[in-house]
Amino acid sequence: MTLAGLLQQIVIGLDKGTTYALLGVGFALIIGVSGRFHIAYAVSFTLAAFVASWATTLWNLPFWPSLVLGALAAALFGVLIEKFVYYPLSRIALRNGTNALLMIFVASLGISISGRNLIQLVATARAAASIGGFDNEPVNVGPYITLTTLQIASFVTSWVLIGILSVVLARTTLGRMIRAVRANWEMSLCVGVSPQIIYLVVFAIGSAFGGVAAVFIATGTSAKPDMGLVPMFYALVVAFVAGLGTPPLTVGLIGLALGMVESLSALFLPTQWTSVVVFAILLVYVAMRPVQLGDRIKKMLASAPKPGLAKG
Amino acid sequence: MQELAFSFADQILIYAIFAMSLNLLLGYTGQVSVAHAAFGAVGGYTVAYLFLHGHTSLVGDVAAGVGVAVLIGLVIAVPALRLTTEWLILLTLAVQTIIIMLTTTVNALGGSYGLQNITGLTVGKTVLSDPSQFIWPIGISAVVTYFICWRMGESPFGRVLRGIREDEIATRSLGKNVFLYKLTVFGVTSGMAGLAGAMLVLNAQIASPQDFGFEKSSAMVAMVIIGGAGNLFGSVLGVILLGALEPLLNRVLHLSPDQSAIWSLIAYGIVLIVILMVRPVGILPDSVTRRLRKLQRVQDRERRAATGSGSQAASVPVAPVVKSGAVATNGASKNGHANGNGSIDVKPAVEPGDLGDVELPRALGIVEHAAADSPIVLETSGITKRFGGITAAENLAITLRKGTITALVGPNGAGKTTVFNLITGAIKPDSGSVKLLGREVVGLTPDEVTRLGMVRSYQTVRIFPRLSALENVMLGIQHQPGERLTAIFFRPITTQRFEKEARARAIEWLSFVGMEKYKDVPAGALAFGQQKLVALARVLATEAEVLLLDEPASGIDVAWVDAMLGLIEQVRERGRTVCIVEHNLHVVERLADYTYFMELGRITAQGNFAELTADPRLAEAYFGTV
Repeated sequence: MTLAGLLQQIVIGLDKGTTYALLGVGFALIIGVSGRFHIAYAVSFTLAAFVASWATTLWNLPFWPSLVLGALAAALFGVLIEKFVYYPLSRIALRNGTNALLMIFVASLGISISGRNLIQLVATARAAASIGGFDNEPVNVGPYITLTTLQIASFVTSWVLIGILSVVLARTTLGRMIRAVRANWEMSLCVGVSPQIIYLVVFAIGSAFGGVAAVFIATGTSAKPDMGLVPMFYALVVAFVAGLGTPPLTVGLIGLALGMVESLSALFLPTQWTSVVVFAILLVYVAMRPVQLGDRIKKMLASAPKPGLAKG
Repeated sequence: MQELAFSFADQILIYAIFAMSLNLLLGYTGQVSVAHAAFGAVGGYTVAYLFLHGHTSLVGDVAAGVGVAVLIGLVIAVPALRLTTEWLILLTLAVQTIIIMLTTTVNALGGSYGLQNITGLTVGKTVLSDPSQFIWPIGISAVVTYFICWRMGESPFGRVLRGIREDEIATRSLGKNVFLYKLTVFGVTSGMAGLAGAMLVLNAQIASPQDFGFEKSSAMVAMVIIGGAGNLFGSVLGVILLGALEPLLNRVLHLSPDQSAIWSLIAYGIVLIVILMVRPVGILPDSVTRRLRKLQRVQDRERRAATGSGSQAASVPVAPVVKSGAVATNGASKNGHANGNGSIDVKPAVEPGDLGDVELPRALGIVEHAAADSPIVLETSGITKRFGGITAAENLAITLRKGTITALVGPNGAGKTTVFNLITGAIKPDSGSVKLLGREVVGLTPDEVTRLGMVRSYQTVRIFPRLSALENVMLGIQHQPGERLTAIFFRPITTQRFEKEARARAIEWLSFVGMEKYKDVPAGALAFGQQKLVALARVLATEAEVLLLDEPASGIDVAWVDAMLGLIEQVRERGRTVCIVEHNLHVVERLADYTYFMELGRITAQGNFAELTADPRLAEAYFGTV
C-alpha cells in the first residue's frame, strides 16, 4: 500500500465518517429523547434526497436552497409521523398494557415499507433522481490528496450543524428542556415542559440532520427509493455505540471513527468485506458490553423500576 | 389455479413456522429478535450447500440445517441473555446483517445470486417437484412446530417463560434458572427458524439472500404482533392476513403487474398501522388480555348499575382503583404519558380481623413458638460490599433463628435492602460468609439460594402483571416436573398430575392470604395491597425455610396492615424463619423477636425492640432530634 493510497483512504474515511456522524447525531437525538425505535428514519432520509432532486431539476432551484428544502421535507415527515402515528400508538399501548417499544417498532416498519414504495411510485412518474446545481470539482491538496468540493461542502456543513446542536443542547433553554425530557419525561411535565412538544422538536431536528446527509450522498450519486435502509442501520450503530445520552459532538466523533475504520479496513480486506467490519464491531460491542453494575444496582434499589429505554 | 393455491399454502405454512417460533421467543418469553429470517438463512443455506456438495437424504440435510441453526442460536444467546429489549434488537440486527452479508460475500454461498438449482429432491422414490407435493414435508414441519411451541408455551414450562417476560429478577428469585430457560428457548426457536428456512429453500429451489433479509425478519415480528403476541393461532392468522394481502389487492384493484407490487406494499404498511391502532393487543389476544377485557366489561356494567341507582351509589364502599395501564409489561410505559382510562375496581380482599380462624395450608407444620435460643438457620459473618467509594455493607454479622422474626431497621440508605441482595446472591459480597442451614451460599446465584430454602420478597412487589394471581403463586411452587423440557414431552401424565396438585396448593396459599376470590384476575389489575398479599402467597408457596420480606406492610392501607402482620405472625407460629426490613416501628414492635439497627452499611446496635428504643442516640439517628 502506497502513501498516496493510504491518504486517499483517509479522505474517504473522513467523508464517510462525516455522513455517519450526521446521521448518528440525528438518530441519537430522536431515539435518545423520545425512545421511539424509529426505523422509518430511512424514509425521511430518502424523501429529503428526492425533494432536493426535484427542486434542482424540476423547479430549477439552486443547490443550497434545495438542500434546505430537502431537510425541511424530512423534518416535516418526522414530525407528522410522531404526531399522528407514534404518539397515538404510545397512548394506545399504555391503555392496553402492551409493549409500546414493540408496537412503535412495527408501526415504523409499516411506514418504512409504505413510504419507500410511495416514493418509488412518485419517483418513477417524475423520472428525476439526480441533484443538480452543485459544481463538483476536484481539489488537489499537496501531491497526494485529491478532494472534491462536494466532500468539502459536506464536511463543513455537517460539522457546523453538529456544533450548533451541541451548543443549543448545552447552552440554551430549549436544550435544557430537551435534556430534561431525555432524563425523565414525567418529571419534566411537573416543571411545565411538555414532552409531547419536545418530541416533535427532536423529530424535526433529527430528521433534518438525516436529510442533509441524504442530499449530500445523492448529489454524489443519485437518489434511489431504497437508498435509506443502509444509512439507517449506520445511524443506529453510531447512536447506540456512542450511547443515547451522549453529547452530539461525541456521537459525531464516534461516527467519524466508524467511517475511518470502515475505510481503512479496505487496506487489509476485499472491499465487499468492509461493511461486515462495521457490523462486526457493533456485534462485538453489544456482546462485550460490560454488565453495567451501576444500572443493575439502580434497578435493584429503585423504589419504582422505570421501564423503557436505558440511557447509554 | 390449483397449483397456485398449493404454492400459496406452502408459503403460508413456511411463514407460519417462522411466526409461531418467533412468538414463542417474543410473545411468551419477551425476547425480541429481528434475526429470525437470518436463522432461516442458516438452515436454508446449509441444506442448499449439502444438496449441491454431498447430498445424503432429505431428512439428513434438513436435520443438519436445523442443527447448525440451533448451534448458532445458542452462540448468539449467550451475549443476548442479559440484554434489555432495545439492546437485544440491536444485537439481533447486527447478527441479521452479518449473516446476510456473509451469504452475499462468500463465494461458496453463491453471492447475491444465491445457490441455485436445488431440484430433483426425492423422498423414497417420489421426486418432489410441484407445490402439491411440497405441502407434505412443509405441512408436517408446521404441525410439529406448532405442537412443540404449544407444549412449551402452554405448560408449566411456558408459565416460567411468561414469568421471565414479565420480570426476570422475580422469576429468578423464585428458584428458576432463568439463564437455562432463555438458552433453551433461543436454541429451540433458532432451530425452528432453520427448519422453516430449509423448507423455503427446498420449495423455492434456490437459496437466495433476498428471501432472508432484514425486511423478512421484521415482517415476521409484524406478523406476531399483529396476530397477537402470546397466541400461536394469532401468529398463523397474522401470516395469512399479511401473506394474503398482496394477491388479494391485485385481484380487487385489477392493477397492472408492475404497479401491483408497489401498491400492495404501500397498502401493507398502512394496514399494519391501522391494525395496531384498532387492535393493539393483536387480532387474537392472549388469554390474559381476554380475561382483562371481560373483567372490564363486568365492571362497566356494575358501574352503570351503580350510577343508575342514584344516591344509593354513594354508600357503596370505595374500592381500590387500579389503572389497567399497570398491567403493562416491562418496557411498556416509557413511550406515553396517557393516564390509564379503563380502570378496574377490585374490592379489598381481606377484611381486617377476619383472618382469625383461617385454615393454614398443610405445608406449614405447627411448631411451638420458638424461643431466643432456638437453632440458628442463617448466619452471616463479615459481609462487606463496596460500590466504588461507597461502603454499602461493612462487616455484617446477622443471625436468624428458627421460628423467629428478625427485623432490620434503620434510616433510608442504611443498606437494609442491600443486605437482602447480598445474602440471596443478587449482589456478590466482596468478602464474608453466609451460611444457610450450615451451607455456604456466597457465590451461588439467587435461584440456587432459593432452591436451598431462602426466598425474598420485594418492596416494589415485582408481581407478574400479565399473569393471573393464581399463576403468580404457582410460579412459587418448587420442583414442578412440568417446568422441565423433558417432562412436558416425555412424561405428560406426571406433568398433568403435578399441575393439578400445584394448582390446589397455590389456591390454598391464596386463601391463606385471603385472595382466592381473585385467583383468575391478572395480578396487574389488583390494588397494590392485594398485590402485596399475592406476592406474600407466592413467597410462601416456595415453602422455603427462610423468608426475607422487604417492607411487607409499606404502601398498603392501614386497615390491611393489621391483616398482613397477622399473616406473618401465623407464618412464624408454624416454625418458619422470617426476616423483615421495615420502617414502621409499630410493625417492628409487634413482630420482631430480635432487631438489628443499621446505619450507613453497619450494624450499630442489636437486641430486642424495647432495648433499642430506649437508647436516645438511636432514636436520634432514626427520627432526627426529637
